[in-house]
Amino acid sequence: MGWLVSLLGSSVGKKWMMAVTGFAFLGFLAAHFAGNLTVFGGRESFNGYAQKLQSLGPILHLFRAGLIACALVHITTGLLLFLQNRRARPVGYQVAASAGGRTLSSRTMPYTGLLILAFVVFHLFHFTFVPPAPLTIFDRVAAAFRRPELVALYTAMMVVVALHVRHGFWSAFQTIGAHHPKYMPWIFALSLAAAFATAIGFGSLPILVAALV
Amino acid sequence: MRLDAKIPGGPLPQKWDRHRFELKLVNPANKRKFEILVVGTGLAGASASASLAELGYQVKTFCIHDSPRRAHSIAAQGGINAAKNYPNDGDSIWRLFYDTVKGGDFRAREANVYRLAQISNAIIDHCVAQGVPFAREYGGLLANRSFGGAQLSRTFYARGQTGQQLLLGAYGALMRQAAAGRVRLFPRREILDIVVVRGKARGVVARNLLNGEIECHEGHAVVLCTGGYGNAYYLSTNAKASNVTAAFRAYKRGALFANPCFTQIHPTCIPVHGTYQSKLTLMSESLRNDGRVWVPKTPGDKRPPHQIPEAERDYFLERKYPSFGNLVPRDVASRNVKEQCDQGKGVGETGLAVYLDFADAIRRDGRAVIERKYGNLFQMYEKITGDDPYETPMKIYPAVHYTMGGLWVDYNLMSTLEGLFVLGEANFSDHGANRLGASALMQGLADGYFIIPYTLGGYLAGTPLEPVSASDPAFAETARQAAERLRRLLAVNGRRTPDDLHRELGMVLWNFCGMSRNNEGLRKARGRVQELREEFWRNVRVPGSEQDLNQSLEKAGRVADFMEFAELMILDALERQESCGGHFNEAYQTEDNEARRDDERFCHVAAWEFRGEDRDPVRHVEPLSFEHVPLTQRSYK
Amino acid sequence: MSQTIRLTLKIWRQKGPADPGRFETVAVDGVSTDMSFLEMLDVVNEKRILEGGEPIAFDHDCREGICGSCGAVVNGRPHGHLRGTTLCQLHMRHFRDGDTIVIEPFRARAFPVIKDLVVDRSALDRLIQAGGYVSVNTGSAPEANTLPVPPDRAERAMDAAACIGCGACVAACPNASAMLFTSAKVSHLALLPQGRPEAARRVLAMVRAMDACGFGNCSNHRECEMTCPKEISIVHIARLNREALKAGFLSPEA
Ligand SMILES: Cc1cc2nc3c(=O)[nH]c(=O)nc-3n(C[C@H](O)[C@H](O)[C@H](O)COP(=O)(O)OP(=O)(O)OC[C@H]3O[C@@H](n4cnc5c(N)ncnc54)[C@H](O)[C@@H]3O)c2cc1C
Ligand code: FES
Repeated sequence: MGWLVSLLGSSVGKKWMMAVTGFAFLGFLAAHFAGNLTVFGGRESFNGYAQKLQSLGPILHLFRAGLIACALVHITTGLLLFLQNRRARPVGYQVAASAGGRTLSSRTMPYTGLLILAFVVFHLFHFTFVPPAPLTIFDRVAAAFRRPELVALYTAMMVVVALHVRHGFWSAFQTIGAHHPKYMPWIFALSLAAAFATAIGFGSLPILVAALV
Repeated sequence: MRLDAKIPGGPLPQKWDRHRFELKLVNPANKRKFEILVVGTGLAGASASASLAELGYQVKTFCIHDSPRRAHSIAAQGGINAAKNYPNDGDSIWRLFYDTVKGGDFRAREANVYRLAQISNAIIDHCVAQGVPFAREYGGLLANRSFGGAQLSRTFYARGQTGQQLLLGAYGALMRQAAAGRVRLFPRREILDIVVVRGKARGVVARNLLNGEIECHEGHAVVLCTGGYGNAYYLSTNAKASNVTAAFRAYKRGALFANPCFTQIHPTCIPVHGTYQSKLTLMSESLRNDGRVWVPKTPGDKRPPHQIPEAERDYFLERKYPSFGNLVPRDVASRNVKEQCDQGKGVGETGLAVYLDFADAIRRDGRAVIERKYGNLFQMYEKITGDDPYETPMKIYPAVHYTMGGLWVDYNLMSTLEGLFVLGEANFSDHGANRLGASALMQGLADGYFIIPYTLGGYLAGTPLEPVSASDPAFAETARQAAERLRRLLAVNGRRTPDDLHRELGMVLWNFCGMSRNNEGLRKARGRVQELREEFWRNVRVPGSEQDLNQSLEKAGRVADFMEFAELMILDALERQESCGGHFNEAYQTEDNEARRDDERFCHVAAWEFRGEDRDPVRHVEPLSFEHVPLTQRSYK
Repeated sequence: MSQTIRLTLKIWRQKGPADPGRFETVAVDGVSTDMSFLEMLDVVNEKRILEGGEPIAFDHDCREGICGSCGAVVNGRPHGHLRGTTLCQLHMRHFRDGDTIVIEPFRARAFPVIKDLVVDRSALDRLIQAGGYVSVNTGSAPEANTLPVPPDRAERAMDAAACIGCGACVAACPNASAMLFTSAKVSHLALLPQGRPEAARRVLAMVRAMDACGFGNCSNHRECEMTCPKEISIVHIARLNREALKAGFLSPEA
């Protein structure tokens, strides 16, 4: 056990945990996205999807617990890394310049991460931890996206998530050692694709919902 | 003084074996009771420290740099020789021995050179085992290339960074011992003097370069691996911190200095381009395998190279030396380049350069092949000059590169100061009057990995060494003198910087004690050096204090030693009334301007003994006899 | 063709480890574009010595980009803005007349400033001491050709082994991480059969040492590979990650 703690506590260990939990979130995003699509089937289809989820009972709880665990690990490890990294350079440079490695996305990882955390909490209280009646979930979503400020918020946050995915995606591969000169260009392309998919797939939803209902 | 080289008896191929057998052994349990001070962490110092520590000795290792890995050996590019005969082209220990003796123009000891050739193969084995990424053939076996002055391929290489890779191997071994606690590292220390107690080297005085503290370290023996003195010329291919200080101090404490006038001028360096220039960059000799050296046939032809038609180019090395062509040994190539420039055929802004042209090789092998072989060198050239050698020929000119002279050592690598061993470029041992390409790395590692572990043991086991401590008055006195010297340097407070004076000293040496020498020039140079030295101590300006990181003070100390040492180089050149290898006295040349040795009078090592500040040193002689390689005039025609 | 240019330097001056330090502005005239950056500093220093000032301390030795001694942050970029170039190889022809150049030391908790531009990089030596070698005693090596190494492997090992240990990767990393340096050594030795026996122990020990020295963690910003004067790729960092995973979970090493 001691070996595991010290292994995961090392700098590379912490990064593996970020990568693995990150992969879990990517999986979750994909599933969430598929679920979201039911909204375009109309009230019945979307509410049906929600009920189906609820009916999973213990399985759903297991998934939720898993996600919460991943979130806890991702957040605490991320914060730890963030603080350690800041401490590793107590005196900064007068001139900040990049050699071209950093991207907007890599630069902002801790901040987009924290924003996403805040957003997820809001989102959960907004749509998930709510009584099933009298308003159905479809009604709530439809009502929410009739308010332009919420459409703006949700859409903007999806861009933030996309930014986080943009760096997190390929970075997770790199961190678990999956870097091969033949495939790395694909992984880079995929992470860009995943980012766009997130931004457009999730981000367009509030707008479309607002337009449709 | 009779110089006893302690060459073991018996037939040449068995001398080393026999000697190893005859050397006394130190009981393994006693080894840890011996403390060895190793100065320098180049190939020689790092390999010696590691090997001695592996045997169980307690080692203290010193270097000027912030890390042992930065020693000047890191810069060696071309490769390292060994007599493996992998290419099946006729190599053997005997041939490597023969070539080295002949290449050295018969001014090295046969027994030492033979041992070097014998050990060469084990070095490759060891370095490969350490993970040195030598170049490989498609089948995965080691690749060889031919290298300056050799007609066969015996050079192992790791791109153009062989020295780096070998040094990192030795550095790794050293760090392993440091982690094990058997080596204690003292980086950022400059050895300012050797402490002699009752006739034996028993310690060193070091300056901690971070805070200026003067430290004394005692030990049972001192192993000096401080590299060469090429920086006496100010401009050389040596790293900036390379110096003669430790060796020169040892000389003043009783170690004889051998053949100080034997310096090697490397033919392929990037030409000088301005007075502010701080160092010269070598373009590896391997470039001569594919590059062709030429100048315009007409003096003063200032057309750009591509406008000079083939018929108006003189590929002078190929013309004069049909069988070796561009691959003649360094001294021959350098002198020929100088000769062409003296005739006004030099190219470039200063007229002090010749072309090294790859156009034919690129046409023959394709750019990709040339890029793979020399890519990093071409890149380095472009960075410095702004010219692209794939498009326009390189411009090259000779530069000071290596010093064959060094502290005199016997077969055991011990100097005339008992207990002081000298390894690597710092000793004079194996290269005679001219070193062949790729054999300095071989020698440094042979000395450190495979010779000193035995011979030092023999010394320790066979010599009564009473305990000494750093509280011995000899330490205090030596430390006081070192500190006093630093204070004197700071106190002058004159009007010229150490670099400025050093530059002038360098010019004097380069002009009069460089590629070609004559008696009149040498005599003039001696006077000039004396004047400069006098001016140095009257007019140098060293800012700051001695109790701080003070790079000007470090520099000044080294320049001060060069100022004295330069005179020894000149004296030695004056006394050697012949030409041999890197020492070319214009009065002694053949009709085709080749060096003419005088084996009757000068088939010997000249070793200089210090006799006090106001007296001329005394020249001693160790006669050399050649029983296995007949003394012949070198010819590379 | 060489020209001369005028520059304004803003250089970090710090008397010693305890001194807070400050920037000093120096105007320099007549800088030949053929000079290297360090030669330009030499000229500044020569002048200061004669004027009674304190010269600027900076580390350097080979001046040909191989020893790894030199290095400062020039306008926010370790070793300056030119790809694949050490500071000693950076020539003034890459600057323009009238430029202002800000020169700072490498900054990292693991690299404390000693004086002016000189920093203490001994942490890199400690990393190597943790295992950056093959444990082979002199004399015990087998014949060199008994272990063939495919040339592409040898080449990739060489790509990693080309590291000069200058520390620019740490200086460039927003997290002051030493992953590129560490991975270059891990990768060099992991790629060669000679290095395999100790591969697991080596990678775990070196990672531990890296953490103990106070370097930051790798966030895959890639500033290191973009800055590295030897253009060492982060492919080696991935190999370190892989080696560490294997070693951590599958080998008996702890
Ligand atoms: C550019 C270049 C390319 C070369 N290429 C080749 C090649 O391809 N093949 C080949 O065989 N040879 C080559 N050589 C020659 C070869 O590199 C050197 O001769 C050899 O590396 C010297 O090794 P060394 O261990 O004796 O000394 P160095 O590597 O010079 O080490 C000297 C050590 O002593 C320390 N030191 C010096 N003075 C003091 C002091 N006073 N106090 C404390 N420490 C001190 C230094 O810090 C350093 O650690 C080349 C040389 C140059 C300049
Ligand atoms: S001085 Fe050696 S790398 Fe720059």
